[in-house]
Amino acid sequence: MTISLAPFIDSWPFLLKAVGVTLFISVFSMLLGFVIGVIVGSLRTYGGKFLDMTLGFYVDTMRAIPLLVILVWVYFAFPMLTGHSINVTAAAIAALGIHLGAYIAETIRAGLTSVRKTQMSAALALGMSRTQAVRTIILPQAVIRMLPSLGSLFVFAVKDSAIASVIAVPELLRQTQVVAGNTYRPFELYTAAMLVYFLLCFPVARGVDMIYKRVAHLGSS
Amino acid sequence: MTFQWHVIWESLPRLLDGAVMTIWLSVVTMLIAMPGGLLWSFMRMSRFKAISLLSACFVEFFRATPLILQIYWVYYVLPAYFDIRLSQIGTAILGLSCNISAFNSETFRSGIVSIRKGQWSAGRAIGMTDRQIMWHIVLPQAVLRVLPALATTWVSLFKDTSLVSIISVADLSYVSLKIRSETYRILEVLTAMAAIYWLMGYPQAKLVDWIHRRYKVTE
Repeated sequence: MTISLAPFIDSWPFLLKAVGVTLFISVFSMLLGFVIGVIVGSLRTYGGKFLDMTLGFYVDTMRAIPLLVILVWVYFAFPMLTGHSINVTAAAIAALGIHLGAYIAETIRAGLTSVRKTQMSAALALGMSRTQAVRTIILPQAVIRMLPSLGSLFVFAVKDSAIASVIAVPELLRQTQVVAGNTYRPFELYTAAMLVYFLLCFPVARGVDMIYKRVAHLGSS
Repeated sequence: MTFQWHVIWESLPRLLDGAVMTIWLSVVTMLIAMPGGLLWSFMRMSRFKAISLLSACFVEFFRATPLILQIYWVYYVLPAYFDIRLSQIGTAILGLSCNISAFNSETFRSGIVSIRKGQWSAGRAIGMTDRQIMWHIVLPQAVLRVLPALATTWVSLFKDTSLVSIISVADLSYVSLKIRSETYRILEVLTAMAAIYWLMGYPQAKLVDWIHRRYKVTE
């Protein structure tokens, strides 16, 4: 077996651009997921029983349905309902975002509820409002505790963005397939794509762990 | 627009066959990935540096790269360059098992190291060998402790089996996408696929929550 680096010499600008698209999709789906997660997570924690149940249904539904299914539904089926076609990249960000949003919501809820109830009671006894108590006492501790999970969810966002190749978003996996198909060099190209994903994900995972170790004491009570 | 749901009723037997394949793939993968994960975690804790490093590389690599790419890699690279020929289902199971055993390995390891050191000393003090301590004292407690994490992995495995549809394994998502292209009833078929996944996955998600509450570690 011979290894040829020719495909990279010819198509590295094409593949580099694809890495950019992968990062773009990951970052924006994470942002969308974060917005959904903050709203859903805090409403489930502080919004009363009815909201908790309704939004819980959304969260559990996203935990039950594969991302691939959500993705093809958003891209192929949703436009049939509205009658307007949808841009692939937007579909990918939307599908990844609403899927990830459920997981981020759970992380945020777990963080908020991990701060003991007595702290809220103590704050109310001191005459603080509920909003003040959440903002100045509960949130600063909860945010630190959420950090490791949010970090691993971002890694999941990067990895899951590869599933968008199924609807032909020009991200790294899709463009790797294109070049592999043209050059008949699947080994080199898929291996290189693996290394790129590893280089994107592994430092993020370890970096978040390191940051967390430094700041973990701020979240303990 | 008009909906034609009769398409779904007509293709329901095929969809159910796909659903059975999805369940079968998840079960077989987990049956391989449980001992597999345990083996990688033992190797990671080995006193031989080389074995420990090998396991660390395997686990970190499979955890930090997308499953869909791993499946493609196994599918295109093994037959063409290493002359290893597997059926599509074999390829799917190999890809899924490598990925899930990497996750299980970290789960088991965290469970094993969470058992206090004093239990090892106590075991040695009453004359047990390290192997006996591992099998009779540490592992039973560790497995119970990581049960919630294993259950979470199970649910994500169940969802991830949908990715093998890209190499034409006839699971629920492959069958649905095929029926979609045969009938052109895109909305109906894709909604039915999502509904079937939901019907199977929702109870599992609820069960995982229950396991988390039931077996929560309290110290």
